[in-house]
Amino acid sequence: MSARLTFAVPSKGRLMEQTAEFLGQSGLTLRKVGHDRGYRGAIEGVDGIDVAFISASEIVAALGSGRAHIGVTGEDLVRENISNADACVTLLKPLGFGRANVVVAVPRCWLDVSEVADLEAVAAVFRREHGRPIRVATKYLNLARRFLSGKGLADYRIVESLGATEGTPAAGTADLIVDITTTGATLAANGLKVLEDGVILRSEANLVASKMAEWGEETKKARDTLLARLGIQVKMD
Amino acid sequence: MGAASPANFEALEAQARTLLAVFIAAGYEAVAPDIIQPAGVFLDVVGEALRGRTYVFTDMDGKELCLRPDLTVPTCRLYLQRHRDADQEAYYSYNGPAFRFQPASADASHPREFRQAGIEAFGDKDAGEADARTLVLVLRALQQAGLPGWKLRIGDVALFDALLRAADIPERWRRRLRHQFLRPDAFRAELKRLSTNPARSAAAFPRALVEALDPNDVARAESLVAEHLEQGGIELIGVRTAAEIAEGLLAIAADTKAPPLKPEAAALIEAYVKTKAAAPQATSVLRKLISKPSAAFSEALDAYERRCMLLSESGVDMNAVEFSAEFGRSVGYYTGFVFEVLVEALGPSSPVGGGGRYDGLLKAVGAPRDVPAVGGAVHTERLLAVVRGGKR
Repeated sequence: MSARLTFAVPSKGRLMEQTAEFLGQSGLTLRKVGHDRGYRGAIEGVDGIDVAFISASEIVAALGSGRAHIGVTGEDLVRENISNADACVTLLKPLGFGRANVVVAVPRCWLDVSEVADLEAVAAVFRREHGRPIRVATKYLNLARRFLSGKGLADYRIVESLGATEGTPAAGTADLIVDITTTGATLAANGLKVLEDGVILRSEANLVASKMAEWGEETKKARDTLLARLGIQVKMD
Repeated sequence: MGAASPANFEALEAQARTLLAVFIAAGYEAVAPDIIQPAGVFLDVVGEALRGRTYVFTDMDGKELCLRPDLTVPTCRLYLQRHRDADQEAYYSYNGPAFRFQPASADASHPREFRQAGIEAFGDKDAGEADARTLVLVLRALQQAGLPGWKLRIGDVALFDALLRAADIPERWRRRLRHQFLRPDAFRAELKRLSTNPARSAAAFPRALVEALDPNDVARAESLVAEHLEQGGIELIGVRTAAEIAEGLLAIAADTKAPPLKPEAAALIEAYVKTKAAAPQATSVLRKLISKPSAAFSEALDAYERRCMLLSESGVDMNAVEFSAEFGRSVGYYTGFVFEVLVEALGPSSPVGGGGRYDGLLKAVGAPRDVPAVGGAVHTERLLAVVRGGKR
């Protein structure tokens, strides 16, 4: 069992660049170990830390299972993919990038719907007319279900959508969607509107610690050094 | 817990034989409904909340399937496979596994894989008699399996329905209240809203359009909606038609004009929901509460009383039974009598048995019409744990 701390960092795209910038503001530099296309690295001048470059969604799985001690990932992915997130991870600090909202959106032509509560009447008439419940397309199965059921909606079905979710109402494969949006432009272009109380989560990238990982003396020391360098004050045992 | 340990496996098998023997002796044919169920039909019926705890998967043909989260719906489907017209009486018993997701923090009373032993009766001619027989059989089976004592809680969803029908309010308000009955806080909020300002968020809708709609001219309402969309450059996308949207807006328009639910009616509904009493006293408490009951409510009270009498005649000590008006909230498909069997060792959130009447479920899974149906089941792992006194 290695006593080194595993720090999971997004492996590509804007999220990787912004993570590097965030670390850079505290004078920390990520360095890849071995060849340039590799997935392992270190932080220059900080001992006891292995950096793992993996995708943002895999980071959540690694934090949830304890394979990574600390990582950078979106709160949306944490809340979606870990069923009891607060028992498994600690959100140490929102990082101010990777901002996006998870929202409920319906066709703009649904003039009789402005809030989630209006969907109950829609669902009742819809079942009568079409013989099935209204369908909600999303890749956020758990967030959507928790939110809609929490708002008292019962008669609906979630259909999993792994891409182009915003096109599903026009295509007729779903009736409304739960999806991520930054400006709302894509939703509008697809004839959709966000419900007034339809913001499920205002998400951004977070520095996240795992409660499931093995925390020995040395990994705790590495963690405290890292957090001190980042200027983050969190009481952790 | 669970069947994984050999000692438990043997004990669960022996217990299941005892339970089933009671059911079979009473004329309930033993059946084995499919464990793997089509996700579509099944989950359309149980609702998304239970779906959230159902193991759903896609097979090699791309079909969406699930592991059954209970045995009632699969038994309904089995009945319909045998009797497509749903015109036969049938009495079934079963023992088998059901599956529900549980968070890692769940206790031993909530295993994700558990076995239910139970009975379902379809097409009964006498609801009160069938209700009473179901509960009596479940209790007899529990007793045979060695359960020394229990606490019984009953309710009746039909009473609540009859009470709502008597209130002088639009049908859609009744639907909303019935819908929110499952959630105590939301129910109270809805009741308050209907009795103060029923036209919630009317301001959020296109006002001129809402005012122009005439509930007596549905066809014109539809064309007004189409016009409004066209003028606003809003495309009509999706499956919902302009007629459905017009219907929704007409309901909103009607809410702005409708007189609120009378405070006394709201207070009455709220007082009803709070009612708890020893089962034999429930009717006198409710008759005192509702001084001028509607014919439907009186009928529902009579049915409740007759059921209690039948249970008492079958040897159930009704004075020890608690009636709770709000009980029945947790499962969506119950339409009448509901019951659960509690034991002190496990507490109120882990009944060892339960069931009720669900006259609307068969139609929802494909029967040509509503079919009277009542059933009850035993949570066998919990029963075994209690019978063993918590010892391994």
